[in-house]
Amino acid sequence: MSKKITLKSSDGESFEVEEAVARQSQTLANLIEDNCTDGEIPITNVTSNILAKVVEYCKKHVVVDGGDDSSSSSTSEEDLKKWDADFMQVDQSTMFDLILAANYLNVASLLDLACQTVADMITACKGAEEIRAKFGIENDFTPEEEAEIAKATQWAFQ
Amino acid sequence: MDLRLPSKVLEHIFSFVDSNEDRNSVSLVCKSWFETERLTRKRVFVRNCYAVTPAAVARRFPGMRSLTLKGKPHFADYNLVPDGWGGYAWPWVEAMGEKYPALEELRLKRMVVTDECLEKIAASFKEFKALVLTSCEGFSTDGLAAIAVACSNLRELELRECIVEDLGGDWLSYFPETLTSLVSLDFSCLDSAVKLSDLERLVSRSPHLKSLKLNRAVSLDALGNLLRLAPQLVELGTGSFSDKLNQEAVSKLSQAFSELKELKSLSGLWDVLPEYIPLLYSVCPGLTSLNLSYATVQMPDLVELLSRCSKLEKLWVMDLIEDKGLEAVASSCKELRELRVFPSGADVDETNVAMTEQGLVTVSEACPNLESVLYFCAQFTNAAMVTIAKNRPNLKCFRLCVMEPFAPDHKTQQPLDEGFKAIVESCKDLQRLSVSGLLTDKAFEYIGTHGKKLRMLSIAFAGDSDLMLHHLLSGCESLNKLEIRDCPFGDTALLENAAKLETMRSLWMSSCCVSFGACKLLSQKMPKLNVEVIDEQHLTETGPDSSPVEKIYIYRTLAGPRVDMPEFVWTIHKNPEIGVSHLAIE
Repeated sequence: MSKKITLKSSDGESFEVEEAVARQSQTLANLIEDNCTDGEIPITNVTSNILAKVVEYCKKHVVVDGGDDSSSSSTSEEDLKKWDADFMQVDQSTMFDLILAANYLNVASLLDLACQTVADMITACKGAEEIRAKFGIENDFTPEEEAEIAKATQWAFQ
Repeated sequence: MDLRLPSKVLEHIFSFVDSNEDRNSVSLVCKSWFETERLTRKRVFVRNCYAVTPAAVARRFPGMRSLTLKGKPHFADYNLVPDGWGGYAWPWVEAMGEKYPALEELRLKRMVVTDECLEKIAASFKEFKALVLTSCEGFSTDGLAAIAVACSNLRELELRECIVEDLGGDWLSYFPETLTSLVSLDFSCLDSAVKLSDLERLVSRSPHLKSLKLNRAVSLDALGNLLRLAPQLVELGTGSFSDKLNQEAVSKLSQAFSELKELKSLSGLWDVLPEYIPLLYSVCPGLTSLNLSYATVQMPDLVELLSRCSKLEKLWVMDLIEDKGLEAVASSCKELRELRVFPSGADVDETNVAMTEQGLVTVSEACPNLESVLYFCAQFTNAAMVTIAKNRPNLKCFRLCVMEPFAPDHKTQQPLDEGFKAIVESCKDLQRLSVSGLLTDKAFEYIGTHGKKLRMLSIAFAGDSDLMLHHLLSGCESLNKLEIRDCPFGDTALLENAAKLETMRSLWMSSCCVSFGACKLLSQKMPKLNVEVIDEQHLTETGPDSSPVEKIYIYRTLAGPRVDMPEFVWTIHKNPEIGVSHLAIE
């Protein structure tokens, strides 16, 4: 019989998951090892909408251990990649909250997936200005600082 | 939106941003991105070793694991840069030894690398994995032995077109029995024979070996054994392909070739005898890259070979291929991206050396992906270039080397201006261009007008006046490297477009009409440029300001004047009093 773990988001919503699903998070896996998982585990840094996404990801990616669980045993690698790509079709705010949640909960594959997605968005931009516009980042260089870095980069490291 | 990402997370995102260009963009976004990016950049490219100091590199990129450095200007390949000019790897190796004990890779091009450098590398970097030297010189096989014996994690050792003092083939025997990590070994430019049994043992204990490029001294017979030990090879450079083998040996060798299921790239093939060419047929269908620039294969044999290479993307070959051979390429190699045809030095008077402009036209018609061309040819026509331009607007690199200086269109006797005009007009993404043949200033007006994406331009024996240089410097917005020899222009264009030189990596001019006075003026006007006058005959310093200089090399730099100049290189910093006093007189 597989154990169930209950996670509670910062805004009070509860999520019951199989132990194998929770173990995708190294943080939770450690708690499980230390037998600290009776009752609800508060995930204080993650809101319900994001936690729902993380749980969804972990459910999809749980590795079936020769058992009868139907979740991902029939999913081929290619299908999983497609699922991941669809999963990452979210707005930027959600994307970064997912990264922070994956980092906090230490879900390595989700962190990689989300960071790769952001990296792809960065490399699709041509130049710093486009990157700033894409992510709404403020340019906090003074014009002199910016010119100096641009010059050093261009003259030496291009 | 406020991106409050912990730097560890930002680092993780940047770990997926690999290309140099993207990392450079990232570094300019904001302060925290600049900081995180610089601390995590692993691969650093310094494309002019004199543009920045090793210390400055170490300050900015403390996490560097791989350094790519380039030294001498490109025209050094044509022996235009005198020995002793510079491009020394030592200051870099010494500085890296101190600051980067974890350095893994060094890729050096056109630099002077001594045995001392190689010994220092071997001693300093415990994790050293890759040494790739391209067109380097200054070391001997003893230096290679030092690398072989000490670098226990070595993955790549590649010597591409280096000039090496060859003290024998022992160096290879210094690879310890414990070294099993080799992925790539290229010693094709060495002369001496290595000990075959040691090479075989090295190959057999290198399960990850993907690329093996042998030197000419490795016989055909030996090749068979090596191939049997490394059927997983993706890149193979054979040695000499000309021993007389008996029937059994030939069939064994044929079998060995057919076992190379992963082979994509083939080179070497020195002295290849026509009867051995069929040995290669089994690997042809898988080849994407074929370098026959050392193989004196005649046209009929080339046709047989190339007609089997349907996946070929890169072909380097000698002009022995003739137009007929290029027809075979056109009909069989539809994936072709890059074509380089080198001069064989075959007697030009012979009427059967039948390689003309038509060969290139045919390939340009038939190969839709062709984007890079280097073509040495006796003569060319405007009409051919117009056709090529029309066929292949996707060209990114077009280097035409009509070997006779000032050769006009051989059908109309006109300058080749209109041909090059068609090329730059049609090929809107053209990044690299070499021009040749008879050209007037008009050609350069066209290039200046249309060559907006041009980054590198090479010119020899062309133009009428200063206007030529003026068109180029004022028109080519993306110009990064310009190299010019034997063209009749000088001071005015250079001084008028001085500011442009800070937007380019470098400018080389030799045997032109630039005066010493102009060089001094330019140096004074543009203190962030190193204006180096190469003067082996020591004429300039004692002659009048109006005397033309032999060669100048001008480049922007953050590092200030060089400290390692030989006595035949003059800069204003060397003898400031001469510069100032002469100018004061005027």
